[in-house]
Amino acid sequence: MTDLKLPSAMAELRPALGKIVTQSQEQLPYFAALLSSKHGLQISVDNREERVVERPPSAGTVLSAFDGRTIYERAVSGFDPGEVQRAARELVQGKSFEPYAPAAESEPQRSGDFTISMQIDPAELSIREKLDRCRELHRRTKSRDPRIVNVQVRYIEAGEHAVFASRHADLAQHLQRLNLFLVVIVAGEDGQVKYDWRSKSGEAGWEILEFTDEEIQHLVDSAVALLGADRIEPGEYQVITAPGVSGIICHESFGHGVETDMFLKQRARAAHFIDRSVGSPLVNIFDDPSQPGGFGSYFFDDEGRLAAPTQIVEEGLFRRGITDLYSATALKIPRSANGRRQDYSRKAYARMSNTYFGAGTSSLDEMLAQVDDGIYLDKWSSGMEDPQGWGIQVTCHYGHEIRGGKITNRLFAPIGISGYVPDVLQSVTAVGREWRLEAGNCGKGHKEVVPVASGGPHLLLKARLG
Amino acid sequence: MLNKIVEALNGRSDLSGWTVRHLRSRGAQVYAVPGQIESQRLVNVEQYRIDVLCQTSDPEGKPAVGSGDITVLPGEDIKAAVEKAVLTAGLVANPVHTLPAPAPLPDVPLLDADLQKDPSAVTKDMMEHIQAAASKNRGIHLTAAECFGEIHTTHLINSRGIDAEQDATQIHVEFVLHGRRGENDVETFTEMDRRRVADFRLQDEIEQRTRHTLDLFETAAPPSWQGPVVLRNEVLATFIAGDNLQGSVLQTLGSAGSKYAKISPWEIGKSIFRSDVKGDPLTVWANRCMPFGTASNRFDEEGLPAQRVELIHGNELAAFAANQCYADYLNLPATGAFGGVELPPGQTAASALLAEPYVEIIQFSWFNPDTITGDFATEIRLGYLVQNGKRKPFRGGQLVGNYLDALADVRWSAETGFFGSYLGPHTARFNDLKIVA
Repeated sequence: MTDLKLPSAMAELRPALGKIVTQSQEQLPYFAALLSSKHGLQISVDNREERVVERPPSAGTVLSAFDGRTIYERAVSGFDPGEVQRAARELVQGKSFEPYAPAAESEPQRSGDFTISMQIDPAELSIREKLDRCRELHRRTKSRDPRIVNVQVRYIEAGEHAVFASRHADLAQHLQRLNLFLVVIVAGEDGQVKYDWRSKSGEAGWEILEFTDEEIQHLVDSAVALLGADRIEPGEYQVITAPGVSGIICHESFGHGVETDMFLKQRARAAHFIDRSVGSPLVNIFDDPSQPGGFGSYFFDDEGRLAAPTQIVEEGLFRRGITDLYSATALKIPRSANGRRQDYSRKAYARMSNTYFGAGTSSLDEMLAQVDDGIYLDKWSSGMEDPQGWGIQVTCHYGHEIRGGKITNRLFAPIGISGYVPDVLQSVTAVGREWRLEAGNCGKGHKEVVPVASGGPHLLLKARLG
Repeated sequence: MLNKIVEALNGRSDLSGWTVRHLRSRGAQVYAVPGQIESQRLVNVEQYRIDVLCQTSDPEGKPAVGSGDITVLPGEDIKAAVEKAVLTAGLVANPVHTLPAPAPLPDVPLLDADLQKDPSAVTKDMMEHIQAAASKNRGIHLTAAECFGEIHTTHLINSRGIDAEQDATQIHVEFVLHGRRGENDVETFTEMDRRRVADFRLQDEIEQRTRHTLDLFETAAPPSWQGPVVLRNEVLATFIAGDNLQGSVLQTLGSAGSKYAKISPWEIGKSIFRSDVKGDPLTVWANRCMPFGTASNRFDEEGLPAQRVELIHGNELAAFAANQCYADYLNLPATGAFGGVELPPGQTAASALLAEPYVEIIQFSWFNPDTITGDFATEIRLGYLVQNGKRKPFRGGQLVGNYLDALADVRWSAETGFFGSYLGPHTARFNDLKIVA
């Protein structure tokens, strides 16, 4: 069996879960237990100070009872067997549960222990070694330009252990997410401060965190260039989106917009568009928690569903959404492995994992050749969903002018993308073959933050910029 | 267990200081979907957060300090946890700083007594109240609602003698009002945080949101606009004080940490603006004493007492919000965590700020300016173009500009309101903002 290095208290409680589930199940149509431990480390190094801090951990047990209408839960700190047994008793005592309306499909029997593959496991490096690596990256960056006033290196290590037990499942997993940010802050002669950043991230080991000298210099150059950036003249433009920008458009449109709890709440326009056209035939959109190395990957979700890809949009046609247990049951639709919690203190919602546009066949040069006057959107900084109105709000940290099929040095910052989602997706006329995912943290509204990735290829489209 | 942790920390001779916080919370959560309760949850959280300081030396051999932290759950190995924190602290060499000393703590009201007694009953009552208020409106119905009620207890002890406790309650409410005419669906999403039920005014809020939701059926395309833009109430509070996901520009640029990192160009005694001020002069307090403020407390994570700090006075920076570390580094008074934002009443009646023509923005997708540069380009979910005696709703388009430039040309209402993390004028007229269609 795979050694997941579960926290000792979690490992000790795990064998007792079968009995707790069996006893509780006698009174209940559905009962499940989730043990969740999230922990991590953050190292920051800048020109003036260094910090090594623990990421606020969370460790606790969620007991869930579902009668087909309402999910009742007790969430308790830690993994004390007596406490968990008491919470299980209290959860079911004195309640009369409605008959369980089963989901549209039967629950398969499943078991297994899963962990990610890493070449350089951060657990094998001492904190000193990690700090020294951050210091070295800082040293390589800080003196590259006299306008640099600070360089910040921020390393984030987020480990996660989970055990899920129900009548049909006995699952455990260990996930390890790493993120290394390099931020360059520059000041102009007039005192204005600008900055740019680059990050390396994924569900993997330290092997993914290397910065080349070329990447560092490019970052410094772009930060300095922002001192001379203009605000863009508002209007509709021919646009090429970098893979990260493509990803955030995907995430905010047919990511949030197809979380099926939003269907149940009548908040998603997509509910009325199943098997209807929502984009150009070149558009394919997926959510895939099983994507190797993806920042939003996992082996099973917080409701014990084994990870598998979901095709959301197929050649421009909206096919299906991504689900949690509750909405799939209520809507009588097949489940996907997208029931996720911020941590044990919060409920599970339908959430994205790794959400992306499928790759196409065009090279970036071929796409640029089709643009006489347009904008290359290099980097996103934020986005917000609008599943009901299908409006887009994506803010890009900056974009470059495209003239005569070439990216010029003229820079615009920041740039807001707005418009109506289907209009933007229908305008896609070329899809690149270079494909990548970028890490992010995603909220449901303004809370319930979970790690995700989004991405895709370059896209050639039309959008309103301002 | 807290005593055992304190004993363990006192027993170490290699520490130059320490802080331990015993954090407990208990709460109830209720979630509703159309026609039924989706989920009911009871949540208990308990942990101990330990911070240690160790004397170290920098590469040139000068005295320095390292900090380390660790979280311990009930029953976990205290000695091993402290040892880990100390080892971490030994790796770092920052300029020497101190920990706060004991000081009188203000009595800041933070508790809803009913919630403290029975969070399940209070959240259930609030949910029923939301459902009842929403059901009165024809053509609009409630499609989702969430209500959380939590009680947070903090006991903080540090090596300099602080031994302080505080209880606080926190309520989070969000709801969606939805309407459908033919194939046209519209909705408004509302979320609010307060410390007590009495500060919600849910009936009024739902009535107002209902009107907004109905108006979404009538929206036109956004206007191209450069001129007066009015913000009121919750949307103004978010503009000033930020939201749960992101703090505000004032918090970022007004913090000593940002100054020390050379992110903030602000200097004490100088104007915070990069251009002439055409509107009302700006005065801002960073206020942790605001009664029932969601960012208020009696003491912060370091144990520093709550203060009402005059951050900006008449457009000039008066002070930075500084925790003990950055206060020591920059030789400033330690004010502690930022807290809520308070502005003084303006000189103009709110009604006079509504002189036509103007645009009023009711809801953004997400007002999230770059907190360092202040630049923003943010989509509008619902706004009104008010001119010639008519109030025409629109949706879409972006408000584009710079946060500080906007504050340099604004007039504030004489009437004020309390909005959780913001206390001040409830209406602001920004004289020259741009909307791009």
